[in-house]
Amino acid sequence: MHSAVQRANALVTIAAILLAALCTAASFLDSFNSPSVQAHVEVVKINRFKRQLDGNDEVKMTLNISMNLESIFTWNTKQVFVFLAAEYETEKNSLNQVSLWDHIVQEKERASFRVKVPTKYPLIDQGSNLRGKKIGLVLHWHVMPKSGRMIRDKMPLSYLSLPNSYTTKS
Amino acid sequence: MDWQGQKHAEMLMQIFLVASAVAAFAIGYFMRDFRLMMLIYAGGVVLTALVTVPNWPFFNRQPLKWLDPSEVEKHPKPQVSSNTTFSSSKKKSSKNK
Amino acid sequence: MDCIKSFRDVKIRPALIQLLNLGILICSALVLWKGLMCMTACESPVVVVLTGSMEPGFRRGDILFLHMNKEPIRAGEIVVYNVDGRDIPIVHRVIKVHERKDTGEIDILTKGDNNPVDDISLYSGGQLWLNRHHIIGRAKGYLPYVGYLTIIMTETPMIKYALIGVMALLVMTTKE
Repeated sequence: MHSAVQRANALVTIAAILLAALCTAASFLDSFNSPSVQAHVEVVKINRFKRQLDGNDEVKMTLNISMNLESIFTWNTKQVFVFLAAEYETEKNSLNQVSLWDHIVQEKERASFRVKVPTKYPLIDQGSNLRGKKIGLVLHWHVMPKSGRMIRDKMPLSYLSLPNSYTTKS
Repeated sequence: MDWQGQKHAEMLMQIFLVASAVAAFAIGYFMRDFRLMMLIYAGGVVLTALVTVPNWPFFNRQPLKWLDPSEVEKHPKPQVSSNTTFSSSKKKSSKNK
Repeated sequence: MDCIKSFRDVKIRPALIQLLNLGILICSALVLWKGLMCMTACESPVVVVLTGSMEPGFRRGDILFLHMNKEPIRAGEIVVYNVDGRDIPIVHRVIKVHERKDTGEIDILTKGDNNPVDDISLYSGGQLWLNRHHIIGRAKGYLPYVGYLTIIMTETPMIKYALIGVMALLVMTTKE
């Protein structure tokens, strides 16, 4: 004969398993979402381009960024972390990825916007390779769900050719 | 609870829980509201717990017939011989004899 | 005298069986955990978020599912790393990556979403970058709230002892 405690135990176990199933199902449906993101970036001005004391190049600029991330949001989306990265290759490094600016979007209603901002993080090279360099500006986003799998994706936007000589005295 | 009642209670529990989960998922998905799904599911679990866990009288429609004490005396339990399963008490009983 | 002895004898066997059942339960949980460790190639396939440095994405008490593979680490990923000399793993996001052409080695810089500055001050000594060997896992899945019990148990040991006491009592007193 089962006691009430044993029934309660069975209830909690089944309820927990079903909860896990719900979360998995919600996350699974996310993979069918095919978002179409529109974005555009424009470098308004290069504020600083110099060589630091330790020999590394440093760049700071002001950017005009606009994007529409609405199609990324599903019912299971908690927030979208979006950032703009400068990507380029040098003699020593096959890949350099430096985040210039990032933002957290928590609601679909605020997923379409335009900002004019100075770079949050300076572009600092490992070395002194940036003069005349062509760097790619790539928009990355990271979808953080309410439960389940996290999704990352990116979209190259445009290129920026840095000046051939420093614009700021060290 | 009685045997039939127990079976009913457990069956009800499973059906209620799965139905809550499915309903919660469907409603949440169509209303595009994750929180709503969780709330509906939680409500369903609580409801199921209230109905199936405690010893409600409607689970005891066919109560077990326990033997009346007066009947026990009329039919005494058969005496067990000196061959018992507990070796320690066997030793004791042989010691006492 | 002999009735006390018989009472003791009768209770020992079922109690030992109960203990054995508990042992089997614990062992199977361990097997599951080790299996998960193998599958995800990760020392700790599940971690609990302990700080608010990744808010509003991850809050204290959320759990993260990790895995580890040879694929290149790229900016934007959320990684779990151990700094030399510290044993509390940190869960933050990669914001800079420099990958060497010749060796494939990488230098990465991390930062918590909710922190105003990057993690350079957290790295040991004069270390400027993290390398692959510091990374113990990459986050790929997430569940909210579930880990809060672990936090409560580590921060208020009384509750942990109370829980173990209750479970031991239940094990000893259930008849099955």
